Amino acid sequence: MASLAQASTALSTSCKPTLALSSRVSSLKSVSFSITGKRFPSLSSRPGRLQVSCSAKPETLNKVCDIVKKQLALPDTTAVTAGSKFTELGADSLDTVEIVMGLEEEFGISVEEDSAQTIATVQDAADLIEKLVEKKA
Amino acid sequence: MSVVAASAPSRAEVLQLYRSFLRVARKFTDYNIREYTKRRATDAFRQNRNVSDPCAAFADGKAQLEVASRQAVVYSLYAPKLKSVMEVHN
Repeated sequence: MASLAQASTALSTSCKPTLALSSRVSSLKSVSFSITGKRFPSLSSRPGRLQVSCSAKPETLNKVCDIVKKQLALPDTTAVTAGSKFTELGADSLDTVEIVMGLEEEFGISVEEDSAQTIATVQDAADLIEKLVEKKA
Repeated sequence: MSVVAASAPSRAEVLQLYRSFLRVARKFTDYNIREYTKRRATDAFRQNRNVSDPCAAFADGKAQLEVASRQAVVYSLYAPKLKSVMEVHN
């Protein structure tokens, strides 16, 4: 217990002087240690330790795009980006359900009913997957 | 046997039923039955998408879902060890 307090005081003192150190420090604790309000650019490139709500890992996005393309039988030339909506790609609600099921199987997660209703774009799906994978891990 | 008059199913309920079918399909160990369940559910839902009175189709769907979930349990009791050739990935 005492060592924890010591460690936390050490963290709070060490992250004040330099900005370069604080990015590593903040990965141990949550956002309470971020002194500047802005997002550290190194956070999004970290291999998924700290959950940043706006970014999803590129491999996840790629896998999601592949599954969407396969499910909707789109030709490879179609550009499926993070912001593309399923309805724009020609999917109806049944297709969306199938895509979500395919993603569940691929990533080994289980999507809740109401979360599944809110998925509209590829980015939504990737973010939800990240959140569930992290919760499972 | 009196049929309970159900109000028209909402869009969310229909999608939930579809999702339940796909979930039940995953429980089958037999590749053929699994694929058939998914295919039949997709076909049936697509066929009935524009029907004017969805109550009967929805009730039918729920009955079939019960059948499928019962059969999933029964099939799992006698699952063969040999998998179908379609499931061999190399």
